[in-house]
Amino acid sequence: MLTLKNVTKRFNGVTVLKGIDLEVRKHEVVGLIGENGAGKSTLMKILTGVHQPDEGHLELDGQPIVLDSPRGATAQGIAMVYQEQSILPNLSVAENLFMGREDEFSRFGWLNGKKLHRAARVQLAKVNLDIDPGMLCSELSFGQRQMIELAKALALEERCQGHLVILLDEPTSVLEQREIDTLFRLVRQLKSRASFIFVSHRLDELLALSDRVYVMKDGEVVAQMAAAHASKERLHTLMVGRSLQAEFYRESLQKACFPDVAMKVRGLSLQGSFASLDFDLRRGEILGIAGVVGSGREELCRVLAGLLPRSAGEIQVHGKRLQGGGPGAAIRAGIGYIPRERKIEGIVSMLSVAQNMTLARVGQVTRCGLLDEGRERTIAEEWIKRLSIKTPGPDALLLNLSGGNQQKVVLAKWRNAGSTILILDHPSRGLDVGAKEDVYQLIREITEQGVAVILTADTLEEMIGLSHRILVMRDGEVAQSFDCLPGAKPQQVDLIQHMV
Amino acid sequence: MPITLDVFRTQAPLLALVVLVALIAGYDPGFIQPSAVLGLLADTSTLFIMATGITFVLLIGGIDLSSQAVASMASVVIALLLPSMGIWAFAIGITAGIAAGALSGLLHTWLRIPSFIVTLAIGGVITSLTMLASANRTINIDGAERDAWFGWVTGQTAGIPNEVLVAFVVLLLCLFLHRKTPFGRYGNAVGAGEPAAWASGINVNRIKVMTFALSAGLAALSGVLMAGRLSSGSPTLANEFLLPAIAAVLVGGTALTGGVGGVWRTLIGALLVSVVRIGMTFVGVSVFAQQIVFGVILIIAVAFTLDRSKLPIVK
Amino acid sequence: MARLRRFSSLIVLLLIAVLIGSINTNFFDPMNLVRIATTCSIPLLMALGGMFVIQMGSIDLSVEGVVAVAAVCFALLVGNNLNGYAIGLWALPVAIVVGALTGLLNGLLQVNLRIPSFMATLGVGFVGIGLATALLQGNTVRVLDMDVRAIALYRLLGLPLSVWIVILALGVAHFVSRHTVLGRHALAIGGGEDLARLNGVNVRRTRISIFALAGAFYGLAAILAVAQFGQGHALIAQGQLFTAITAIVVGGASLAGGNGSPLGTLLGVLIVVVVSNGMVLMGVAPYVQQGVQGVLIIAAVAIALDRAKARVVK
Repeated sequence: MLTLKNVTKRFNGVTVLKGIDLEVRKHEVVGLIGENGAGKSTLMKILTGVHQPDEGHLELDGQPIVLDSPRGATAQGIAMVYQEQSILPNLSVAENLFMGREDEFSRFGWLNGKKLHRAARVQLAKVNLDIDPGMLCSELSFGQRQMIELAKALALEERCQGHLVILLDEPTSVLEQREIDTLFRLVRQLKSRASFIFVSHRLDELLALSDRVYVMKDGEVVAQMAAAHASKERLHTLMVGRSLQAEFYRESLQKACFPDVAMKVRGLSLQGSFASLDFDLRRGEILGIAGVVGSGREELCRVLAGLLPRSAGEIQVHGKRLQGGGPGAAIRAGIGYIPRERKIEGIVSMLSVAQNMTLARVGQVTRCGLLDEGRERTIAEEWIKRLSIKTPGPDALLLNLSGGNQQKVVLAKWRNAGSTILILDHPSRGLDVGAKEDVYQLIREITEQGVAVILTADTLEEMIGLSHRILVMRDGEVAQSFDCLPGAKPQQVDLIQHMV
Repeated sequence: MPITLDVFRTQAPLLALVVLVALIAGYDPGFIQPSAVLGLLADTSTLFIMATGITFVLLIGGIDLSSQAVASMASVVIALLLPSMGIWAFAIGITAGIAAGALSGLLHTWLRIPSFIVTLAIGGVITSLTMLASANRTINIDGAERDAWFGWVTGQTAGIPNEVLVAFVVLLLCLFLHRKTPFGRYGNAVGAGEPAAWASGINVNRIKVMTFALSAGLAALSGVLMAGRLSSGSPTLANEFLLPAIAAVLVGGTALTGGVGGVWRTLIGALLVSVVRIGMTFVGVSVFAQQIVFGVILIIAVAFTLDRSKLPIVK
Repeated sequence: MARLRRFSSLIVLLLIAVLIGSINTNFFDPMNLVRIATTCSIPLLMALGGMFVIQMGSIDLSVEGVVAVAAVCFALLVGNNLNGYAIGLWALPVAIVVGALTGLLNGLLQVNLRIPSFMATLGVGFVGIGLATALLQGNTVRVLDMDVRAIALYRLLGLPLSVWIVILALGVAHFVSRHTVLGRHALAIGGGEDLARLNGVNVRRTRISIFALAGAFYGLAAILAVAQFGQGHALIAQGQLFTAITAIVVGGASLAGGNGSPLGTLLGVLIVVVVSNGMVLMGVAPYVQQGVQGVLIIAAVAIALDRAKARVVK
């Protein structure tokens, strides 16, 4: 139905897409996978009219079409559901659903609110969302907003007589498991009315939802196959060019942890989130914390990092009680925090690599009250080498590095600050497979050196693969603890049973 | 250093300054006579010092609208206290400025009120206090007093007006403060990425309070200089200085959003603003048209000098 | 508590009114209330214009200049003591158009030359004052047309015509903000310009239109100012800029954009005007007023703004 024929795109002399041939048939889900830099997002931008191909063309039902703008694309029935949501929180549900399409509900600029709300209710019913269309989107939960995103795309259905193609750009990376299940169920239901292009880094999700899969590498389509005939290993090899080690999580590198205790938590509570938590963390151990939204695990990580004040209880680091609150006290005690929202809390994109690396320990490069930038660069270069960070140099702005390399800089910052305990909050979020592997490798290396890690991750698989032990939280308490030694790892279903 | 478009753009304010001076000098060579140049520099000094304070605040992502009120306050403090306290009057004036700035900073961080509002309000409070203290009139500084205590402002050293030297010292100290001290680094981090700076253990509130205190302290210093030049202090002495000072910072290339820019850029911006103002009289622009010309040149200068690559969205 | 927050501006206003009224009951005297309404008129128009721009996340520093040039144009066109023009009330739309065109200039500078609104409107403000000065060539123009003066002087049901005009303008502002595509798109841009564009909002056209709309409001303010003072001059709106912006913020609009409403702006202006009116009634010395106003603004904003939501306050 929707076909790309020989699409090529160049930016500044660099060919980003080479002769792409891709087809989306009616009532199917097409999976699209590839490393960051493979060209997926450029392809998406061409499909949504943001860019136009330099060579080749697009066809809809055999007729050539030109998508000259986002509006043009939606007019043709191609809609995108964005990863970092495209909903405006300060406006209502109805307004968001029809943003940019108000001319259907207005005359000479006057907007007919009632008509808008009526139409909104119809669209909300399609995704089984029973909420007041007049509600402000800032009052909705994350999962609800993702559903509104989907409803917004679906709302084009009436306009395009059965040609609707919906692009799902990594919709699951910010969702909890329950929400992911709802999304998948919806997509399967909606296949009768629309086709989907599903972009994801998560191989098993991709295979679970798609009918056919395209693999991209270095701007080209390197393979196309029915999902039933594909396997994770084969996809991984095609994407990355090296085989998926059964060892994605470097389980063979999981060594026994040291006997001494790095952190002791006793009676830790945060009003409204969790109460009376007790656990020990050993040096060299990776402790995974699992739980659904509302279990308290997110807040626990932030309390341990000093970003949220605790209501009661104590935290002992290397035998000494952590006094006071705030990130400063935690950092001085040796705790480092790699945040989930890397771009906001992890890096300062307008500062250089070197400046970011020393940010938690500026004193190290201060001599008699003055900054020693030469020393700062030398320190940065050391870390760049040790962590294999791809950057033009220590003075490059962090803005210009890829997500994976930015994450490595954050890790370098904490290693540089001498952190002996690292709290990793979704450390591989938003990273492609190759970058993830680098991060896992680094995690294994630092634990071997005695750093203790508390990990909360995107997927249960990742947590099981990496951790020595997993605490499952539910409703603010530790429901169960699992040992997680290589060769004797628990199954996901064992954990889920205690999570809900 | 290869001449790339990027280099051109970051140096655009300097180029604009050079071109403008050349144009005016071409029209009236008297403009670049040493005496005229020194006069220009002297006139720019007070603007530059105030603008430098505002630069630091802009760098952390805020704005300081209290500068002219603080400067006027300092002038009144000097005028009132000089006879009785001599040199201590200067210390008190500047300390009062620093205190005012610290107050703004504290209210901003404790009550989480946007800096636009809090500095505007504090500015109003200070103006009222100054009016009260001076009974809303201009206080003259006696000639003898002035010669005794203000020599360091009104006199000359090696042919250069002292104000210029004071401004030069401020330039060096502030360049140093911004580029070579942890304080400057922290300020950049807070402006360019406050959540990340906080999560990295930086005491954001303390940096903010110190920055506002610094800005007001510099505003007070500029008020002291003004008092010396005009031989008087009044609650409205520094009126009509605020917007040109902010303009100087922005034209120089410091971003409103924070994290980008610096003291050197503000120097060029201040010179640009001054050159335009003073150059207009040299070129013979009618008094009535001067505001128009100033506004137009401001717009043109910003249109060329702003590094839009660093501003993904222009608001 | 969260629900109360939405009415915080109103609560603050009522508290202040009660406080002042208890000290000096003349506050509630009808004559005083009329005085308050009249004093609010011009600042409210300026604040309404500025509000639309702030909703988009931009800022408009040109108000004093736009009002100046519109006022001078207006004064020079109606019966006056300097020239022979006397087109009477036909000058009203001219003033509004002058305002709108200046606003249009602001918008074009911002959109086409990509100059941040702070700088563009600052420059245009200077140009406006300059144009007004240049048009007058150092003279003072006094308006002789009594129809024009009647706008400020003639009373209908106890309130001057100017107040009725402002009430009408408030209604227009409310309609535009709540019930037109332009108004909603302005909020959308303030909520997230990238997102708005992605969703098909014509950001360029909306931006330019909003700036022009603001200019029209300023033009209307200029008409009222000329009617009130009987003359037009370049400094007719001096000092009004920061008052207007304060009123907008006190009324609940965030300087970052995405929220705020005409009714909220009305409350903001009322709070500012009531405070200064109250100080006069209470016999507070004139030069203390600025300071007291500053303190009260801080208090009002501290209570009214939903600062818990804002993670980062700049």
